[in-house]
Amino acid sequence: MKNSFFIILIIAFLICLLGVLSIYSSTYQKEGGLWQTVFHRQILWIIFGLLLFSIVSNISYRRFWDWTYFLYITALFFLLLVFLLGAVRLGAQRWLKAGWFNFQPSELAKLAMAIFLARYFSRKSSDDIDLSCSKFGIFSAVILPFFFTALPLSLIIDQPDLGSGVLLLLLFISMLYLTRVRLKYIIILLAGIILPLPFMWHFLRDYQKDRLLVFLNPNVDPLGAGYTVIQSKIAIGSGGLFGKGWLAGTQSQLHFLPESHTDFIFATFCEEWGFIGGAGLLFLYFLLIRQGFLIAQRTQDSFGKLLAFGITLMLSIQVAVNVAMNLGLAPVVGIPLPLMSYGGSSLFITFIALGILANIDKTRAVF
Amino acid sequence: MRIRVVTWLVTGMFLLLIFGLLNLEVIHGRAYRDLGNKNCIRLVSQDGSRGRIIDCRGSVIADSKLSYDFMILPQDQSQQEKIISSASRILHKSVKDLKNAFKNNYISSSMPVTLARNISIKEAIALDELKVDLPAIIVQLNPVRHYPHAKLACHVLGYVSEIDRWRLTKLEDYGYKTKDIVGFGGIEERYDYYLRQEEGGTSFEVDHRGKFIRTLGFRPPLNGKDIQLTLDIKIQKIAENYLSGRKGSVVIMDPYTGEIFAMASAPGFSPSVFAEKNNSAISSLFNNSNSPLMNRSISGAYAPGSVFKLVVAAAALENKKINLNTSFLCQGATLVGRRKFKCWSTHGQQNLLEAITHSCDVFFYKTGLLVGAQVLHDYALKFGFSRTTSFELPYEVPGFIPSPLWRKINKFKNWFDGDTANLSIGQGEVLTTPLQITRLTAVFANGGYLVRPYIVKTIDGRDVSAYQRKPEKLNLKKANVEHIREGLEKVVNDPTGTASVLSGLAVSVAGKTGTAQAPPGHSHGWFTGFFPLKNPKYVICVFLERGGSGYVSCVVTKQIIQEMINQGLI
Repeated sequence: MKNSFFIILIIAFLICLLGVLSIYSSTYQKEGGLWQTVFHRQILWIIFGLLLFSIVSNISYRRFWDWTYFLYITALFFLLLVFLLGAVRLGAQRWLKAGWFNFQPSELAKLAMAIFLARYFSRKSSDDIDLSCSKFGIFSAVILPFFFTALPLSLIIDQPDLGSGVLLLLLFISMLYLTRVRLKYIIILLAGIILPLPFMWHFLRDYQKDRLLVFLNPNVDPLGAGYTVIQSKIAIGSGGLFGKGWLAGTQSQLHFLPESHTDFIFATFCEEWGFIGGAGLLFLYFLLIRQGFLIAQRTQDSFGKLLAFGITLMLSIQVAVNVAMNLGLAPVVGIPLPLMSYGGSSLFITFIALGILANIDKTRAVF
Repeated sequence: MRIRVVTWLVTGMFLLLIFGLLNLEVIHGRAYRDLGNKNCIRLVSQDGSRGRIIDCRGSVIADSKLSYDFMILPQDQSQQEKIISSASRILHKSVKDLKNAFKNNYISSSMPVTLARNISIKEAIALDELKVDLPAIIVQLNPVRHYPHAKLACHVLGYVSEIDRWRLTKLEDYGYKTKDIVGFGGIEERYDYYLRQEEGGTSFEVDHRGKFIRTLGFRPPLNGKDIQLTLDIKIQKIAENYLSGRKGSVVIMDPYTGEIFAMASAPGFSPSVFAEKNNSAISSLFNNSNSPLMNRSISGAYAPGSVFKLVVAAAALENKKINLNTSFLCQGATLVGRRKFKCWSTHGQQNLLEAITHSCDVFFYKTGLLVGAQVLHDYALKFGFSRTTSFELPYEVPGFIPSPLWRKINKFKNWFDGDTANLSIGQGEVLTTPLQITRLTAVFANGGYLVRPYIVKTIDGRDVSAYQRKPEKLNLKKANVEHIREGLEKVVNDPTGTASVLSGLAVSVAGKTGTAQAPPGHSHGWFTGFFPLKNPKYVICVFLERGGSGYVSCVVTKQIIQEMINQGLI
């Protein structure tokens, strides 16, 4: 169906447009030449992203079946490379410098993981029409894929990027839930993850502990770790029903809100556009995600179906975690808002993922 | 099945996020907007000047002079060092002093900090010029209360100072804030609402480092409203002059309208020490055992002594217990029950007029016993005792008149004839304020009207005397008032009268002396009277706390009236 291609394109473009407006609003007053180019670059990346989207949507998604291991290993390779050559920014080693472009391999890892898991769980044995995962024992159903997830996961967490790590884990669990693996195994896995969580406390870095404590009560440290959450809540709250108007948000323009053009762009947006704008933006995301689910549901091919689910879930988890963190409902983790936040890697990967989604809908008729 | 669960989960999550957004933006939106404004809006307030207080001729008793305060915005640390070092050169103060001032006056990162008060105009201009490079500097214009006549009429004015906790809780709803300057005592307190200036100021936007971004608005401060008093500073000055060095009060009033021309109380205080925040002087005022802050004219209640005989005489005449021909024999003392009640002298046969003239105690003991204690009490109340005069100044006390009924109910004791005798000469439990005595005298000066004293003539140029309560007719027989008035005249004009010392003046005076025993210590001295005799213009009451006797008060009165004649005020 050609239809879903345009729906996805229009919604994604609208969200990107709102993103550019907010990035411009939050950076145009900042001094320094670098800030002035931020929104130019974002526009450039959106154009590239749209290009990627139309290219990928014309590549048959079955190709990704073949490229799975290559993608997976590439992602791992880049993650390892970050350790050796990564640029340290904001106290974390998450970026690879490639000329003028800062590449964030954890973004790639998310997509690669979705493709990998989709392939893993849609394998068929040669003598059976049924998916083999329904007959999996606990080892192949849960432990083996968990191991494959844990490889990039541990590398990401070590960067340290707890946010992307948790996102990867959530993606794994939700995709696992959508396969035909027995519920019993999933529950065992969940228990295996949740039970040792209290002991994980000691492995967290100090700043991560602070963030968790501050999430429980932001007023513990209002000028330190709690500052961002408080300022973000003030920014959103002060928007009111109709917002302060574009370019009139004081929280972001006067630098009270840190990261106002990346992770906290939702707060910037809500300050200026109010509840009406914020709810509208969430509705756009909801439409996009609904489109993803519809595509997944009408796809018969199990790989395509699972991949569509994986991509949609990846998007929804990112949106949910980011917005919740902006609203002070989740601890502060470094997850960008897909399509809105400034940043090339996230934008490219999201557009590629959407391209795959559009292609799944386009080519599913073939099977 | 599992697909449906996941879809519902995602939909539910979006609903949750929208609800979270609604909660933050709409339900708590106002609170967060305030917080946001607090983040980026700073206010530097500027006060208007407090309303002036002027006398009936338009001379200023209290106004405001400008002083300059030097303040800085505390956020920008890098500017602070520079500002302090250059300010120390301009103000000739050490860097350490300024840093200490910063530490002591720091309230919060969003409030400007005062580093120096009362700097000169030159220093203010020099600091203002630095503002171009160091925008955190604020030179603020600050009006301070100023008293051109120093201590004059201090008790009438009251003083201004920083608001206290008690007043703040009471006045919060009317827009009063911490650190506001408000009036204490006198006109300053009573009419604070009118005198009060309205705060204006500049609001400007700052960024996260407290750096100035732009000015948002300026509201010019509004000055307080002027209040004109009925007080005449010439008379007030004379009264205060002759009272100085003593303890007591002088009230001079219009007998027909109740306008106060002078209200002096001694010892006094200098209200400027409060405006200038001279702490040692303030605490010595509060610790002074002579209570210089008390306005004795309205807040001091004392035994009236013989002055109270006017009430007894009026009560007796009105109740027809005596007439002008009734006379009693004074042998220097009389027996009431088994106790001997003394007179201050031996007067022989006395009728009413003679008794007033000589202030014969025996005559009034007997008259009082004829009238009865309850009737005396009722008449005293009729003349306005035992309740405030509803005067405009705060902290007026009602005084006290005892009665048999009161004694029974509150003390479980009986009332004896001795108590009636004591009451008849204004001794014992009777307490009156000098203002009440002035009002009592006015009744005989104006022919039977109880006036309500007042001191404010206009507020903001508008005449408020029309709103004052009209004098109240007391239903006394005209003839009786005339008789007592005749007696008052004789007190001064008869050579044997107790106030004959006043007879030599160019203006004829009538009045009554009083010497109230107040053991342990000297007696209180009273003189109350009116002048000129025909068409009286002034009622005067001179009260000297522990002044010895009524004679001393007469002397002070004479000096005051003489000076008023000299200045052509009568």
